[in-house]
Amino acid sequence: MTTLTFPLSRIEGHARVEIEVQDGRVISTRFQAMEKRGFNLMVTGVPADQMPVIVPRICGVCSTAHHVASVKALENAYGIQPPPLANQIRELLLLGQLIQNQATSLFIFTMPDRLGVESLFHVDAEEAKKETQFDIARRALMVRQLGTDLITLAGGQFIHPVKAVVGGVSSGIDPGRAAAFQQRLQAALPTACELVDYYWEISTRMKDRIGTWGDDQPAYYIASTERDDPRYNSSIIRVMTPAGECCREFTADTFREELIFEDTDYSYAGRTSYQGGVIRANSLARANMTRRMGIRRADAYMRRLRSEFGHPAHPILLFDLCRGIELVYAIELASQLLEEDFTKGEVDMPYNPRDGEGWGLVEAPRGPLIHHYVIEKGKIAMGEFIIPTVHNMLAIERALRVAAERYITTDSVNLELEKAVGRVVRAFDPCIACATH
Amino acid sequence: MTTIQPPRFAVLQLSGCAGCEVSLLNAGEWIDRFDLAFMPLVTSAYDVPEVDILLISGGVRSDEDLHNLRQAVKRAKKIVAVGTCAISGGVTNLGNRDEVRQLFLSQSERHNLPRMLPKSQPVDVFVDVDLYLPGCPPTPELFMAALLEPPDFKASANVCQECGRQKLMDVKPTHLVGMAGGQVAPDICLINQGYLCVGSSTRGGCRALCTRPGHPCVGCRGPSNALIEKDSSTWLESIQRVFKSMTNIPPEELREALLSPQMALFLFQFSDYAGGDRPARSKDKVL
Repeated sequence: MTTLTFPLSRIEGHARVEIEVQDGRVISTRFQAMEKRGFNLMVTGVPADQMPVIVPRICGVCSTAHHVASVKALENAYGIQPPPLANQIRELLLLGQLIQNQATSLFIFTMPDRLGVESLFHVDAEEAKKETQFDIARRALMVRQLGTDLITLAGGQFIHPVKAVVGGVSSGIDPGRAAAFQQRLQAALPTACELVDYYWEISTRMKDRIGTWGDDQPAYYIASTERDDPRYNSSIIRVMTPAGECCREFTADTFREELIFEDTDYSYAGRTSYQGGVIRANSLARANMTRRMGIRRADAYMRRLRSEFGHPAHPILLFDLCRGIELVYAIELASQLLEEDFTKGEVDMPYNPRDGEGWGLVEAPRGPLIHHYVIEKGKIAMGEFIIPTVHNMLAIERALRVAAERYITTDSVNLELEKAVGRVVRAFDPCIACATH
Repeated sequence: MTTIQPPRFAVLQLSGCAGCEVSLLNAGEWIDRFDLAFMPLVTSAYDVPEVDILLISGGVRSDEDLHNLRQAVKRAKKIVAVGTCAISGGVTNLGNRDEVRQLFLSQSERHNLPRMLPKSQPVDVFVDVDLYLPGCPPTPELFMAALLEPPDFKASANVCQECGRQKLMDVKPTHLVGMAGGQVAPDICLINQGYLCVGSSTRGGCRALCTRPGHPCVGCRGPSNALIEKDSSTWLESIQRVFKSMTNIPPEELREALLSPQMALFLFQFSDYAGGDRPARSKDKVL
């Protein structure tokens, strides 16, 4: 038996893929997460009110989702609801995260696969090519930075935000700063659309070259955004069956009755199934389970997706195209939300901390994220983090098997396999820091 | 015609959260001035090539981190430790408590994966560092300063100098109000409002980006130059003096709060390290 090992780059964190082959037959495809810090153990004994500052450090890419999920878990334990203004500011925070993440995944992680380069920042010997690529890189970074700047505006700190607090947020948003930022979003929207159009075009060209959008069987889809209004500060988890039936619904506190968790001995990340069935979370799940985005430009892209690929759609490279739709959506919606006055109304409500149990849910860029805490004497007695990337593990390994079987024969291994492994993994945009925490 | 080669740099990510890398991507100006030769988050390169500058983020948590660190530093002219994890262990150090280590050890071994070292360590336990860039994460502005080292760059002495909130001498809270929560009055010092803010002894340079919107400083940039070469008890006393003059909070209540995990993530680690059996880091090496 031969084991082929593929180190991975242009994803968040340390991981690799191992494919076992015997006589041209693919025996196994394994996705290995290779780091661990042990947050679930580390937070034991931490005063509960410090969690919203500590847990964003699980991941610098998904920090905002952890920050908000943490605050929501504590509010759930204390039995309080934040005022509407605080919820709107948290939604803005999550939109900032969505812009940052989807732009990074689209342009920095996966665009090089479509351009045939090692990196978007790769210095090409040809002067003409170099200028084109640097032009894309500059525009991509400009769009991406809107995300972190929106996190700063709504969350204070730009990577590990601080403004969501138990009971609400620590302050509103200054109208002058909101208006100035709204203008930046408006000015950048056409650039974002151009980049997404270009991405769609080069993705189609790549599909023509490799002959597939990444065919795989249907799976269960899981998301916590709602059907007609994809809010990321979410409250209910939905599951669509492989046949496209929508939808089984459940709340975060009952997740163990719906999802089955298991550890493996070859990875520091676990994996989840829906009653034994393969699950997909992330952008394609949301797109399949959302009727409309509810905003003009994003809906135009959504109609294009539906007319080209039908509904529900399953090819895995569509995860990437759906990230483009969400990038446009987040910029467009954030701009619309910023027309509101974020100084009117209560920013928080008083509360009394108490011992107990709480669950906090948000839709992170990679899918539904749950924080679950048990609080005793004001300290965390048990903390667990239910990570979207973990929901995708079985789906990643199954898609890797499809790719491996395509490129491995009894005679040879097609060198395209290495690229295919990268494309498959990046389509799911796994986050290893989160998955292993 | 000869063109001048831009300086090459690499980013080695050990066990961390990638927040430092995300911040670096915000400092877009390097695109035109540097050649990024290695950064697995954004490039498909699997070994660190010869570079002028090596930025290292994350702590040394596994045997693979240690191997990668030792290999990478051989190929770099200048070594910069970036972010709290690389400099003092960061959030991962919460796992260094004995009770958590025991839980760790009881987890079953995985096959064919990097092995966890007994505890998380900063990079300068193993290799020499030329420059320290603290912050969780450092801001894009600070990243550019670390790459370019402009001679006129000087971070503010402490976060208070950048915060702009007014200190009132006649408003003295009698208890801490918790780490966060409650409506924060604009423009007035967070200590006057009863928050545990340690900006008075934390090195500046971050532009007070947490305290200005109303969250107390947790000290992620480490101690100011006045304290950096001293042990953590000096730092503790310095904060206690500030609270004594500005509040009527009982000393025991303050002390307990200062020793809590959130605070331990940053300042204490940095100065405990200096107060241990290793020499203090020179303030000249800290940006």
